[in-house]
Amino acid sequence: MMKFMFMIIFMIPLCFKKNMFWLVQNLMMLMMFMFMNLNISIYYNTNLSYMFSCDIMSFGLILLSIWICMLMLMASENLLKMGFYVNFFLLNMLFMLLMLYLTFSMMNLFMFYLFFEGSLIPTLLLIVGWGYQPERIQAGMYLLFYTLFASLPLLMGIFYIFNKSNNIMFYFLKFMSFDFYLLYFSMILAFLVKMPMYFVHLWLPKAHVEAPVSGSMILAGIMLKLGGYGLLRILILLEKLSLKLNFIWIIISLVGGFYISLKCFCQVDMKSLIAYSSVCHMGVVIGGIMTLNYWGFMGSYLLMIGHGLCSSGMFCLANINFERLNSRSLYINKGMMNFMPSMSLWWFLLMSSNMAAPPSLNLMGEISLINSLMSWSWLSMIMLMLISFFSAGYSLYLYSYTQHGKYYSGLYSFYTGVSREYLLLMLHWLPLNLMILKVDWVMIWF
Amino acid sequence: MKKFSICFISFFFLFFMSMVNFMMMIYFIMNNMVIFLEWEVITLNSVSVVMSILLDWMSLLFMMFVLLISSVVIYYSKSYMSSELNLNRFIILVLLFVFSMILLIISPNIVSILLGWDGLGLVSYCLVIYYQNFKSYNAGMLTALSNRVGDVFILMVISWMLNYGSWNYIFYLMFMKNDYEMYMISSLIIIAAMTKSAQIPFSSWLPAAMAAPTPVSALVHSSTLVTAGVYLLIRFNLLLIDMLFLKILLLLSGLTMFMAGISANYEFDLKKIIALSTLSQLGLMMSILSMGMPDLAFFHLLTHAMFKALLFMCAGVIIHMMNDTQDIRLMGGISNYIPMTSLCMNISNLALCGIPFLAGFYSKDLILEMVSLSNLNLLIYYIYYLSTGLTMFYTIRLIMYLMVNDYNLMSIYNLYDEDYTMLKSMMVLLFMSVISGSMLSWMIFLNPYMIYLPLNMKMMVVYVSLLGGFIGYFVSNMMIYSMNKFLMTYNISSFLCLMWFMPSLSTYGLNYYFLKLGQNLLKYIDLGWSELYSGQGMYYILKNYSIFYNFYQVNNFKIYLFSFVMWMMILYYFMLMKF
Repeated sequence: MMKFMFMIIFMIPLCFKKNMFWLVQNLMMLMMFMFMNLNISIYYNTNLSYMFSCDIMSFGLILLSIWICMLMLMASENLLKMGFYVNFFLLNMLFMLLMLYLTFSMMNLFMFYLFFEGSLIPTLLLIVGWGYQPERIQAGMYLLFYTLFASLPLLMGIFYIFNKSNNIMFYFLKFMSFDFYLLYFSMILAFLVKMPMYFVHLWLPKAHVEAPVSGSMILAGIMLKLGGYGLLRILILLEKLSLKLNFIWIIISLVGGFYISLKCFCQVDMKSLIAYSSVCHMGVVIGGIMTLNYWGFMGSYLLMIGHGLCSSGMFCLANINFERLNSRSLYINKGMMNFMPSMSLWWFLLMSSNMAAPPSLNLMGEISLINSLMSWSWLSMIMLMLISFFSAGYSLYLYSYTQHGKYYSGLYSFYTGVSREYLLLMLHWLPLNLMILKVDWVMIWF
Repeated sequence: MKKFSICFISFFFLFFMSMVNFMMMIYFIMNNMVIFLEWEVITLNSVSVVMSILLDWMSLLFMMFVLLISSVVIYYSKSYMSSELNLNRFIILVLLFVFSMILLIISPNIVSILLGWDGLGLVSYCLVIYYQNFKSYNAGMLTALSNRVGDVFILMVISWMLNYGSWNYIFYLMFMKNDYEMYMISSLIIIAAMTKSAQIPFSSWLPAAMAAPTPVSALVHSSTLVTAGVYLLIRFNLLLIDMLFLKILLLLSGLTMFMAGISANYEFDLKKIIALSTLSQLGLMMSILSMGMPDLAFFHLLTHAMFKALLFMCAGVIIHMMNDTQDIRLMGGISNYIPMTSLCMNISNLALCGIPFLAGFYSKDLILEMVSLSNLNLLIYYIYYLSTGLTMFYTIRLIMYLMVNDYNLMSIYNLYDEDYTMLKSMMVLLFMSVISGSMLSWMIFLNPYMIYLPLNMKMMVVYVSLLGGFIGYFVSNMMIYSMNKFLMTYNISSFLCLMWFMPSLSTYGLNYYFLKLGQNLLKYIDLGWSELYSGQGMYYILKNYSIFYNFYQVNNFKIYLFSFVMWMMILYYFMLMKF
């Protein structure tokens, strides 16, 4: 495990030389394939060294984060072309990858917390450094303070657990149980804000709207998954209170998911729409985790992987349009099928994956989450039906508004898709839809 | 090189596959054979998610029909879509559609059926919005969302079937029939099938989907996609018998049949008339299915697919020749100019009416006689026979408008009947719509139906058909001043001709409330209370407090001095108190 950390660290000097953009990208891809060959056991943590370990869940999420970081570099070629602090960008990206890698590979709850918070810094730098409008300062503040506000109690909770039981290793958490309300809320809330749950989701659309494409991709692809990862790890500690109190989060997330999907219809900003759709999907994930049953845990992990690939691809598409039209408004991004018919295919494929069409991972994840929520209470059927229906609705709204009909008549010049972009989208879509053939690899994690 | 276009290659491939399926079907039906394949995707808690394939005579026969129709439709679109820039996209979409239809047909598993079911919805959406105009945009959205309702219900069925530990529904149909969960499952399945087959609360999408190119209408919205719901219910039929919901379905599908028949008589759009007649026939299939005769429904499904696809293809030829005009008031007398197409049109129309020894006769007559034979209430009985009369009514009206009256579009026109690509593909279906009824009835009904009726009941079909035909003839000869008399019955007429207001209700009637709700939620929660109690609210509170404290700190030196003295005095006072 440590060798990958050192690989990332020793890639850092490359950032200080010129023209290392694609080398770093290729090295990340190489690292991804090296990591893929790691020996993983389904049942136990493997590859133990110091605080590092790896089981199936952290394995999948590390793979996803290396993959997304690599794709982020591919997506932000515009920075390279304009020479917009490319070296700093690369450094930031490697720092972020390092943080994410460490977050997912830590066995220790405190070290997990440390890197969980540490990953905020490169994200913040991405948003305020490479964002577009002056509002990005506020967006960065929202991102930082929403997360920090809820995660300082988490730190206290970790100290409390360590004080009581002298142990904060993930593996041993299953042998402990705490029946303490304040601890429950302090442990859960940080992750719920990170997910984000409805009512505390406000930072996400703001951050997405202001972030550059790489920031949006990492936010949707990995940052939201940090919350889910934390919840899946931590809930085993809080079983007793979870059985009593989890219904609160399920209700908020399901009703919130429905509300959010209605709000998507009022969005005219493509990125904002995709961000809201992530909130909707993450609502279902929270619901699945909080039911505490096997289908829910498996399905939420699977949907996190699927959603990471899918929404990141959607943000890429939004950015591809933005680079050509210099606007994310749906009133201007119209009739793209006339200009980029091949890109329209990718829009359709990723849009259909977003609305959980077969054979994507999202469908499998959604099926298992629906199973878990329905076995929790059949009354959740109503909200699940509404969420499922309206998520199809806003996906189609986004697709047809951007692709169908006349194009914006104020358009002055245009260029069609380049092969880098097609490759980028294919690298999002292929794992999303082909991994269904070996879905237990990204689904069964304990 | 021109000969081997994408159309020709796909035509050849599909036709070949269709014939292979035909041979296999005969082999299977002779040896009473079934092949069941399973591929396991994942097992979780001893519940297996599997991709399964069921090949029996039913799925093979349906596949044969789908492949045959799609092959000729693709061959037809070589000419029909010849001036289309993105012909490859079109053909690939049609092929994808056929692929998902086949996946739907062969899977007996409720999870793997989703692969075909969702695929049909998405691909048909792409086909409906194929033309870049507002009409197709709206029609596509209506189609996709109506079908999505069905997808959602299938998803819910999946979660309800988790109770049984497997999603191979065919194993549970008999065994779990009286289970409470099974009631839930079957009601959800019925609603899902109703959305796909456009039964009454969901029927508005089918006429709207006529915004698609005509070959698509021929393949998708007449013979295959819309029959997916019927096919699903045929597969589920063992479960559904004796259920209350099936009685409701009988009423709803009967009303669909009746409603579509009446609306077709008010309609002047050529494709919409045919779409409404499809809707009426779908109602017929659904209703006979809900009376517990799935084999009859399947029989009618197949014969109907043939002549309805042919009807659409003829309509496409006519629309092409009329400079893309679809209004039947502007057509007329075309049998003098395009005899071959008119021949196909008339044969398929008559097969639709059930004229003896054409395809429709065998299925429709059998269905109606079985209706007469079964124990029904009077309402359903009337609906059946009135709808049969109405079929004849709109068919004769259509024939009169198209074939007999004068040509009304322009004084200069060029009608030609020498587009052999279209004609050849129509010939295949012409042949099939003549013979498929008798062929199928000999092939798939191993033991014949015994029908025993009094003479008048037996002749009832003929009576209502003749009556409908006469009315259709008179209506088509109606003068403009007698048309104006319809204004006297404006309310009831608009009710009947607008499909009982269903298109308006399922679009404006619904979306306003949800969009308004979404807007309000966005305004009051996301941009309102949530901001007030978190980001912005916190910001204002902190800002105001810091201004407040700042106010006390930005003062004269004298005030500091004074307060220092005051505090010293107070401290001194306390010290005195203490000692």
